[in-house]
Amino acid sequence: MTRRLSVRPVWFAVSVLVVLSLLLTACATPATTPTTPSTGEPAAPPAPTAPPEPAVLTFGWLGKPDTLNPAYAFLTESYIIFDLIFSPLLTENSSGKYAGGLAESWTHSDDGLTWTFKLYDNIKWHDGTPLTAEDVAWSINAVIENPDGWAALSGYVGGFKAASAPDAKTVQIDLESPIGNMEYRVSFLYALPRKDFESFATPEDLQNFANDRAIGTGAFKLNRFDKDQGVLILDANPDYFRGRPKIDQVIFRTFDNEDAMVQALKVGDVDAVIEVPSTAFETVKGFENVKVVQQPSRSLSQLIINSAPADHEPTPTRNPALEDPQVRLAIAHAINKQDLVEIVLQGLGKPGDSIIPPTLGGGFWYNPNLNDVPFDLAKANDILEKAGYVKGTDGVRAKGDVKLDFRLQYPSDSDTAPRVADLLTGWFKEAGIKVSPQSTDPDSLTAACCPTADYDLMLWGWGSDPDPDFMLSVLTSEQFVDGGWSDSGYSNPKYDELYKAQQVAVDPAERQKIVWEMQKIAFDDRPYIVYWYADTLEAYRTDRFKNFIESPIVQIEGVESLLQVEPVR
Amino acid sequence: MSRRDYLFRKLVLAIVTLCVVVTIDFFLFRVLPGDPVRAVIGRNVRITAETQAALREQFGLDKPVFPDQFFNTIGQWLQGNLGVSWSLRRPVGEVLMSKLGNTLLLISLGQIFSIVLGISLGLFAGWKRKTRIDVSALTFSLVAWATPTFWLGIILLAAGSTWLGLPTGGSVEPANVGKPIWEVLPDVARHLILPTLTFTIVYLGEYMLIMRSSVLEVLSEDYILTAKAKGLSQWQVLRRHALKNAMLPIVTLVALNLGFTVSGAIYIETVFSYDGLGKLFQSALEKQDFPLLQGAFLLLAVSVIVANLIADLLYTYLDPRVRET
Repeated sequence: MTRRLSVRPVWFAVSVLVVLSLLLTACATPATTPTTPSTGEPAAPPAPTAPPEPAVLTFGWLGKPDTLNPAYAFLTESYIIFDLIFSPLLTENSSGKYAGGLAESWTHSDDGLTWTFKLYDNIKWHDGTPLTAEDVAWSINAVIENPDGWAALSGYVGGFKAASAPDAKTVQIDLESPIGNMEYRVSFLYALPRKDFESFATPEDLQNFANDRAIGTGAFKLNRFDKDQGVLILDANPDYFRGRPKIDQVIFRTFDNEDAMVQALKVGDVDAVIEVPSTAFETVKGFENVKVVQQPSRSLSQLIINSAPADHEPTPTRNPALEDPQVRLAIAHAINKQDLVEIVLQGLGKPGDSIIPPTLGGGFWYNPNLNDVPFDLAKANDILEKAGYVKGTDGVRAKGDVKLDFRLQYPSDSDTAPRVADLLTGWFKEAGIKVSPQSTDPDSLTAACCPTADYDLMLWGWGSDPDPDFMLSVLTSEQFVDGGWSDSGYSNPKYDELYKAQQVAVDPAERQKIVWEMQKIAFDDRPYIVYWYADTLEAYRTDRFKNFIESPIVQIEGVESLLQVEPVR
Repeated sequence: MSRRDYLFRKLVLAIVTLCVVVTIDFFLFRVLPGDPVRAVIGRNVRITAETQAALREQFGLDKPVFPDQFFNTIGQWLQGNLGVSWSLRRPVGEVLMSKLGNTLLLISLGQIFSIVLGISLGLFAGWKRKTRIDVSALTFSLVAWATPTFWLGIILLAAGSTWLGLPTGGSVEPANVGKPIWEVLPDVARHLILPTLTFTIVYLGEYMLIMRSSVLEVLSEDYILTAKAKGLSQWQVLRRHALKNAMLPIVTLVALNLGFTVSGAIYIETVFSYDGLGKLFQSALEKQDFPLLQGAFLLLAVSVIVANLIADLLYTYLDPRVRET
């Protein structure tokens, strides 16, 4: 036995030596072997005679696409990639106008029921076969005919009758009734290869299709998507119909940790970062050869007040005081939005009021006349006093049995919500309102709100579409169903009616009027108290690439931006 | 009792333990709040109540947890089928195997380094008791043991990437993703340096402390005095007499630690964006992906139990007394 044991240290020593030598070679090799397109380290200046190294632009981000199948993709990351590898008929440019995607020009009939799109010449799929109008029509009809399968896109074809291809260069879409935001609608309808998508028998089969070898007509071709490793590689499409991109490859790398991502930008492991954490923004600003891009975004954050109708099934389990408009008004007076932005967002955003962020349509859709309720604790106290809520010995107001004591839940994956909840608790306390903040995982939060209505107050946020339709739909009563978008349970027949009216208003000025009115109604009824519009924070290394588009509409990783980006040589 | 009886008893005990753990896990996951169907689909998904009902039926969630769901699961397992992950829509066995390699590499390297260094350091400190060496080694180990894994990882990541040009995350460079591991070995190793270092430092302290106290205890035994009296050199005393006896608690600790190392790996994998089992467990839990969770915990339970069996086996060699009791 002693012999056996004495063998072990030797075995240990050998294995340790093997491992050590392995690690040492590892340290040594990168310096000597000119490895593949080094994505990480800043490239050494090439010798004058050497052919230029491929220009590989690496982005760092914290997420990754949930799938590359547009039928069933829900994360923003997926849509960022879709814009690069697929093409819709139209696409939004950096001035907020719709410009040609696949379509070079487009018109609609006088009654607004027929839209005709003329396609660019020489559009090819990534496998080299030419794209025809027939392909585009098929892609749109697939969504119209199978809305259950194409769950993620079916919202965009509401009111579409059918698409057709009168000739090889023309796509025609027939509508049931005129649609006011047609250009936005088609900007999410990508041309997809029929052979990859037509064989699925059931909606589930279609949704289970990962499309890991996605073929499109976009400026970039999918080279590899490894979801587990968090690596997505795109190659420039030399045959792109609007001209080849000036860079050769784009890599998206997922970081599970934001500090690591920021560090990667600092040392040049990545060339750009899509979402700089607001807490790291000042630090990143100070990095050498790094430019930060701060732009107003399309997102909003709000305090949600349980507004489900009293006869809702199941019965809302909220504090009845929340049904009192005066209580809601007092709550609005007790929120210092300026402080929230300064303290929690470090000033990287704007106080909010409307459910439509001021960035939509370049500000066209945002109602600037809401006259936000000012922060005024004396006023809040006054309103509650007049409404009959009297302060008890514990400093909490009550009217009869109804005590102003609310639950305040927020999603556990938010980094700002805990601090917002903390500040709100302090202000509310001074107004005689007690809240108990509670961090809840997002799924349980969904279970509590939608459509169970089992909560009092919540903090949550939305990322808006470019068109106001989506944000407006969130407060309609028909969305307060299982799997619907509504979390507040707000229900107002007038609002619902206006929502339908804006969908068919073709004249922008007329639609704007309705959209503004809806914002006013939502603001006055307060299912949401929107507290801020946070900025988008991005950053890129100036010593590697130049000519990114910096705009609130097209982000640095948008297709328009990546078409003009070129390496710094 | 003969060694065979001893091992047989241990084996039976291991199987019983496995059954109990598996049963507890099964019910534990199902008392979690939330709805797996919603969790799997995510929040921002507009799907009809019918589709949700269909999913529920597909997952078997429309049936009672006991006995239907329970026996279905056990029945599947007995046929060697771990089921299909709900969130990833891939067979659980395949998902686990795809992550196992990376984690095994990280854990085994980290364990080997921390064990070897921890034991050497502990032995040395115990031997040089109450000297400056002992105090420094002890302080270092206490600090290392108390350092949060996450924090240490971040610090090492920042330092290593700034001064040594080591990668900031991932298990290979993006360009090497999908290539067989032997083709890109230097790259794999380069990505392993910082995670392994973090792992080593975090676990080294514990091994060192246990080893040191164990050595101290052994050195005060009479047979050590006897060995010294026989005229053996200090090194011979340590190697032949002290080390072997002092190793006993370490063997137990290593076996016990196996379960904890996987959970410790979650932090390291998260800091270094390293694709492994730890992160898979975390996402399975967040998504309430029961088949994946059950498969993952089965794997974990089996590995801890097997490690303990091996420890028991080693004991029969290391300590004859075990066989005799």
